[in-house]
Amino acid sequence: MTSGWLGKSRPYLWWLAVAMLLCSFWGIAHAPTEAQMGTVQKIIYIHVPSATAAYTAFFVTFVASIVYLVSGKGRRWDQVAVSSCEIGMVFSAVVLVSGPLWARSAWNTWWTWEPRLTSFLIMWILYGGYFLIRSSVSPGSRRDVSAVLGVVLFVSAIVSYLSVAWWRGSLHPRSVTMTPEMRMTLTISIFAWLAFYVAALVERLGLERTRERIEEQAR
Amino acid sequence: MTALSVLAKDLKLHARDARFLATLALFSLSLVLILSVAFGPLFDDPAKEASATLWASLFFAGVLGLTRALDLESESGGGEALRLTGADPFSVYAGKAAANLILMAALFLLLLPCTAVFFDVGSLDQLPGVAGVAALALIGYAAWGTLFAALARGLKARELLLSILLFPTLIPLWIGAVKLTRSLWADGTIDPVSDWVKIMVLADVLGVALAAWLYETIQEAEE
Repeated sequence: MTSGWLGKSRPYLWWLAVAMLLCSFWGIAHAPTEAQMGTVQKIIYIHVPSATAAYTAFFVTFVASIVYLVSGKGRRWDQVAVSSCEIGMVFSAVVLVSGPLWARSAWNTWWTWEPRLTSFLIMWILYGGYFLIRSSVSPGSRRDVSAVLGVVLFVSAIVSYLSVAWWRGSLHPRSVTMTPEMRMTLTISIFAWLAFYVAALVERLGLERTRERIEEQAR
Repeated sequence: MTALSVLAKDLKLHARDARFLATLALFSLSLVLILSVAFGPLFDDPAKEASATLWASLFFAGVLGLTRALDLESESGGGEALRLTGADPFSVYAGKAAANLILMAALFLLLLPCTAVFFDVGSLDQLPGVAGVAALALIGYAAWGTLFAALARGLKARELLLSILLFPTLIPLWIGAVKLTRSLWADGTIDPVSDWVKIMVLADVLGVALAAWLYETIQEAEE
């Protein structure tokens, strides 16, 4: 599967992602303004979709790592895992920047040590470690070590995702009440960011393959 | 049987490396000293500050022990010999984790009385409870630490890389150990924070389960 469709540049995926993001921005511009927080509330249409895309990316890394470990260690799955993880890091960074902007307005502080924020930051640091270790190990063991990390580190993503339900005192709500327009805008935004994730993943896979080819030729 | 042999081998290697053990002991003691000076001389909440100092010192110093065990093995050629025997990977892991656990327990026994004296906390009645908390924390530390140390084996700046992976992963154990110890020292009971026992048990089980599944792959990657 991965050797055929994935990994080749697909311009129409970018067009689709851009079109959906434009729809999302149109929705953000026209969605009702929340009474208490005002315009700042609209950060949610970037914050939540980027968090969804980040969790999705790390889940794909997890699945690809498992498939790599159990299915004869095909290098394609390692490429999927590392590509998805890298994009997940970017989306997580967006979450970590947009979150404090929201928090300043909603909770009157840029940062607070509540479960979701803390566990998300820990997850981001850990996945940063994934790349540091990957770049440090010898090429011969790089894929195996990365696959092990791709599985182990997903524990932090699960903890982060479920932290709101597990710990009392989380400032992140378990559910929110929204008008239909707000909910529609949020749904479109989530799909737009996921489309952006897929387009970026396919592009990044192509780059990873090219990089590996060049490395092999250089050896 | 294999696990016991590996445990005996690792303990022997540590025993021959008395200079490192002395350095580790002094390093961990100096951490306790620095933190107690930073919090003191008048403590706002001695139980809280003492438990934070104890576990922070122990966890930081422990990283040196984790990497040293693997360095000693590489220097003696024991790791390569062990792989050639075709021993069950999980037994090898279990032996190494047990050796790390014993090293951490020895460090704990050194730091506990020092912390108790410096901060004037704790009593002999509370000792079994604190020992239980230590068992939960150190089993998890050894389980995750041995797994990550094997991943970081042979890398440049491995202490640094190991810390980046290990400390964030151990945060549930770290918080749990501090909260439970603090509760024992301040109130004599863990009832208000007993949920942390479940979280720590879960972290311990997860560490061992993941190692049982993945340690073989890590060993193969080293070859």
